[in-house]
Amino acid sequence: MILTELVDRMGLTPLTESIGSVPEIEAGYVGDLLSHVLASATPNCLWITIQRHENVVAVAQVAGLTGVVFAEGVRPEAKVVERAQNAGIALFSSPDSSFELAGRLHRLLHPERS
Amino acid sequence: MSPQAIVQAAISRGVDLIAVTDHNTAAMVEVVGRAAQAAGLHFLYGMELQTREEVHVLAYFDRAANCLACAETIYSLLPDMPNVPDVFGDQVAVALDGTILHTEPKLLVNSLDLSFGETLDCIRSFDGLPVPAHIDRASYGVLAQLGVFPENTGCQLVESDGALPPSLQNMTRVCFSDAHHPDQVGEVRTEFRLEEASVAELQVAARGEAGRSVKCMGE
Repeated sequence: MILTELVDRMGLTPLTESIGSVPEIEAGYVGDLLSHVLASATPNCLWITIQRHENVVAVAQVAGLTGVVFAEGVRPEAKVVERAQNAGIALFSSPDSSFELAGRLHRLLHPERS
Repeated sequence: MSPQAIVQAAISRGVDLIAVTDHNTAAMVEVVGRAAQAAGLHFLYGMELQTREEVHVLAYFDRAANCLACAETIYSLLPDMPNVPDVFGDQVAVALDGTILHTEPKLLVNSLDLSFGETLDCIRSFDGLPVPAHIDRASYGVLAQLGVFPENTGCQLVESDGALPPSLQNMTRVCFSDAHHPDQVGEVRTEFRLEEASVAELQVAARGEAGRSVKCMGE
């Protein structure tokens, strides 16, 4: 499913401006330990986390992740958003929990498994 | 940071004991140590280790050999993930004159395959002094990463940006600059009253015994 459609249907608030290309999201990943995400997340996934440290962007870049959703109303600092914008990583925020967001994402990506 | 820049910054700001605690590596400790000692500073060899739970722990050693031996052991416990210089920087170790001695290929900004407790044990097995780093920070501090300070760690000294919480009043607070740039050297400092700059003396000072003491400046 393309990112813009997912964002819409999941009710996410964009924190970065769209960069023009419309990436396809293949999977989701939930994790707050950066070293673990670096080792385990797959490319082109939407990462759901409550970790707001600026290394989030570095990890998203290296792991080839399409976007990061900050759950539970967590907001990264302006410098993190700026770094993400420059790196082409889409950031989003949601007041909902990682559990809720992951459930929603899974239903959207795999309606046949619901 | 260049060894000379660190040493000059310390001297100009009236800091007379420094330690180098690079992330998961001791590649620069001997070079900086020699520069520091040549300039009349007291020096401790160190590292900042990152546990599996992403807790940062400072490690201090009296001798370069112990620090380097610990570094060699933990190197094998770092994942075999290559550095990405564009994202994380070059990871270079330099000589006193700035020539590059070594470029580390493994990503150092990573977690060791050691729990918090195992990390403390590892440091002590090389006669080092473990000090949990910036325990009150939102990321990479033991309180944020583990929720509570684990019991029976044997830690007396802890590094904290702010005052210790009531539950940790029996511990001794230290605060350091965590300088990543020479400008930051000495911005935050701790005053130690010691017979000499050694791990054993730090431990006595932590207990406030025999006239030794520890005091975070600005308190």
